[in-house]
Amino acid sequence: MDTTPKVKRESKNKIRVEFDRAPLWERIKAKFFSTFFLKKVVYVIFRFVLLIGVSYVILFPYITKIFNSFMTASDFKDVTVVLLSKAPTFDQYKYIITENGYLGALLNSFLLSFTTALIQTFICALVAYGLAKFKFRGNNIVFILVIVTLMVPIDAIQYQMQQYFNDLDKTAFTENFLEKINESLGFMNSYIPMYMLSITGLGFRNGLFIFMLRQFFKGVPDELEESAYVDGSSTMRTFFSIILPISIPMLVTVFIFSFAWQWTDDFYVTTFFDAIYLTKNGWPNIARIAKSVPPSLALATRNLPQYSSAITGTATILIALPLIIAYIFLQDKIVQGVERSGIVG
Amino acid sequence: MASTSIKKKRRGLSLTKKRALAGWLFVLPFVIGILFIYGPILLDSLMYSFSTTQTINGRVVLTFAGFDNYVSIFNPSNPDKSFPVTLLDSTQDLILQIPAIVIFALFMAIILNQKMAGRTVFRAIFFLPVILCTGIIDSIDAQSAMLEAAGNVSGVIDTGAGEDTGIMSVMDLQSLLGNIKVGAGLVEYVVGLVNDIFDIVSRSGVQMLIFLSGLQSISPSIYESCQIEGASAWETFWKITLPMISPMILVNFIYTVIDAFTSADNRMMSFIGGNTSYFTRSEMAAMYWIYMLVVLAMIALVAVLMKAFVFYQRRD
Repeated sequence: MDTTPKVKRESKNKIRVEFDRAPLWERIKAKFFSTFFLKKVVYVIFRFVLLIGVSYVILFPYITKIFNSFMTASDFKDVTVVLLSKAPTFDQYKYIITENGYLGALLNSFLLSFTTALIQTFICALVAYGLAKFKFRGNNIVFILVIVTLMVPIDAIQYQMQQYFNDLDKTAFTENFLEKINESLGFMNSYIPMYMLSITGLGFRNGLFIFMLRQFFKGVPDELEESAYVDGSSTMRTFFSIILPISIPMLVTVFIFSFAWQWTDDFYVTTFFDAIYLTKNGWPNIARIAKSVPPSLALATRNLPQYSSAITGTATILIALPLIIAYIFLQDKIVQGVERSGIVG
Repeated sequence: MASTSIKKKRRGLSLTKKRALAGWLFVLPFVIGILFIYGPILLDSLMYSFSTTQTINGRVVLTFAGFDNYVSIFNPSNPDKSFPVTLLDSTQDLILQIPAIVIFALFMAIILNQKMAGRTVFRAIFFLPVILCTGIIDSIDAQSAMLEAAGNVSGVIDTGAGEDTGIMSVMDLQSLLGNIKVGAGLVEYVVGLVNDIFDIVSRSGVQMLIFLSGLQSISPSIYESCQIEGASAWETFWKITLPMISPMILVNFIYTVIDAFTSADNRMMSFIGGNTSYFTRSEMAAMYWIYMLVVLAMIALVAVLMKAFVFYQRRD
């Protein structure tokens, strides 16, 4: 078969090239009936099935929780009800929001999580920058200490931590300090211990944040700072006006992690607050709404453990809801931040 | 004249000293925290492990007791609440689970790194557990899972066959693997992994992120030249992707060891945390210290084992 293209001059600047193409059927056969194409199709299907399957595993608990949250007590007694309620109601949501003080807890936990996340992000960036860019005696020791704080299970030192802040309450210095800021009742049951831990980079998984940011700063070329120094910028100014702006994606990632982990935190709240998760000013914490069944539903849950566990599940949805909304808007940023960090051992 | 100018220069700090001082200034908050908050707390915990406690007038008084607590936890009076047995079981569990988490995370990161329809959605779903499977939500889920498991077990006894609500019948898998005779140990391992699939998936979010960042940093031109040379995808994975990503594998192994060993719901941690009335504070502190040494040993082991495989691409 002659396949040399025929060139035909149409006008001065235009030519037309005509190929003798193989018949359509031949072309389709060559494209779709090759082993290469077959392999590709099999792979794409396999990949899709795998991704759907794993997504199902991840989402399944939340899906059942959402379905269960619309059920009534009678739905749990009825064996024919699988996921869809026969008489869907918003009762669970209604009573958790009104009787467990959801809105107050939302505001409070938001304030606490937002401020601690802000402090933690800033302090971790500071420490990480010091570790990444400055050679000083003890640099490695400080870094090892960072890893140690990550390695020690927080539950292992919970009791001693409680004791420490309890004892701190009773010193003369603290009393003086508390008087000044009009906190007459001491550190316990207040946000002060959490702020103290955040300011010193010891909050929940702050070791990980310092590690992540250190790796990120190590990837920032030294020339950037050197040129700033040559222009007469001080170390601090370089950090604030050059390093921080370029690391915003990474800082956003750290902030999101810090916020989310503080939001769902159950450890520090139990360590520093009494069992009902209230500060002494009567500020509830978000974890509190999942700890009790609303009084209006209490009667119906008697002898019906599935129902009370569904109510707890509904509370979980309500706790997670703000995070999920924020996550939908910010998830690109998380992936970006980590992708750009170039974490290399 | 010349000597005075030199003296003037010397009056301030040298540049290296200035830089060192600036470095200390940056890490100062953390150092203060270690010296005045974390250090004392950790030391207190260590003191507890070497003492017996007595409460006198509402204050806890420690009396030095040497290694008594350590001896007593290794000679348990009640075989059901034996620390060494739990430690061994728990460590064994985690040693089996950790490679599965890292391999799963690597596999998923490679798939999520490919171009395809709906990648953003899948990424969003896969990283959801990083945000949600922590703290209070995690502990509630663990509780309800336990409740469900209890319900399922009674269901099995009732009906004899067992209603399967899971993704894959574990019984089927067990019989399938049993039939092809791959050895009882492997069957048990695979079945265990399938049972823990949710755990593995929800624990590999951060690892997936780290792997993704590593995959992004591999230059596409390397893959291109491989393709031109005629390497297959299989060869490219073993010869390019794996060596290039090996530093991340080390980081992820260490992160997974730390994350798995310190999580409150692993067997050892829930054993110590769940028996607060049975053990004294000192014994608990002693157990935690032994456990921390085990974690440290694990990290050292991983670091040494991985060192031979890690490939660092020299920059410049």
